[in-house]
Amino acid sequence: MRKLFFYAPLALFLLLALFLLSGLFSDPRERASATLNKSLPAFALADLMQPQHIWTAEQLKGETFLLNVWGTWCPTCNAELGYLTELRQQGVKIVGLYYELPRDPAFDAPFNLQTLQQDVSQKLAQHGDPYQFNILDLQRSLSLDLGVSGAPETFIIDAQGIIRLHHIGDINSQVWRSKLAPSYQQWSQP
Amino acid sequence: MKRYVIGLLWLMCNTVSAEEVLAFANDAQRELYYQLAAELRCPQCQNQNIADSNAIVAVDMRQKTYQLVQQGQSRQQILQYMINRYGDFVHYQPPLNRVTIWLWLAPLLLLLGLLAVGLYRRRNEAAQTPDNLAGTPDELEQLIEKYRSKKP
Repeated sequence: MRKLFFYAPLALFLLLALFLLSGLFSDPRERASATLNKSLPAFALADLMQPQHIWTAEQLKGETFLLNVWGTWCPTCNAELGYLTELRQQGVKIVGLYYELPRDPAFDAPFNLQTLQQDVSQKLAQHGDPYQFNILDLQRSLSLDLGVSGAPETFIIDAQGIIRLHHIGDINSQVWRSKLAPSYQQWSQP
Repeated sequence: MKRYVIGLLWLMCNTVSAEEVLAFANDAQRELYYQLAAELRCPQCQNQNIADSNAIVAVDMRQKTYQLVQQGQSRQQILQYMINRYGDFVHYQPPLNRVTIWLWLAPLLLLLGLLAVGLYRRRNEAAQTPDNLAGTPDELEQLIEKYRSKKP
């Protein structure tokens, strides 16, 4: 009994040290997404390049695809365009959800679709265009419903319109191989 | 001089009026909005509530909270709305479940452990003391005798 008391503090200390050590290697941004395994929320948003076309959740069903939340203002998003373009060439369907910044009426120019379209075309010409099309989320309403906390984020959505994976951060070959590809392959099988 | 002071004051008035002012139907709604803005956690800049943070998502969440409050939704409904999108993570008061129960149990267990150790030691001491003290008067006498005899 006496020995037990003698070693108890040491054991407690070791446990605490282990716990804190594991904290060093964990990513605080990594957390279970609340929208996982739920249907894509209902929305009606205009296409970025052909604004007369309105996309809805229903229209996106039928094929597993990547929904990539991005913006030209976001450097990490621009950096991943190149790799995403490679993925598109390998046959991965990628849809862009354009995450527009809020505007402060005191400082920013009012929203102008043409300027944005030019900006996007220029960025895509420069880094590569991975997108089948882009949906413009001007008020970030779909992004809020999806639980997006910033850009870039990527969702894998299956043919039935169910969200199967929610990735926060950029996509590169390593992340794709270890995290996204297995899920994409699993859900794109007929 | 007077003109400068007035000019300065005028500038200060302007900065105050540039702040965000939200209109509420009644004080209860205002109270609820401020309470929620303080309790909801920004998913982007972690460890800040949405009232403190100016991240885009925090601005959007504030706006959404304001809308929902104005629609007359209850505190629980608005919290559930946010939790449905951002998970339990988004609320600073974690719910009681299998994982979070330890937040309450761990300190309690530590306290109980401490109490057990304290009781154990006290009982041991109590058990030992009478034996030790039993011989003491005699021993003391002997010691006193010994030192007395040493003295010249």
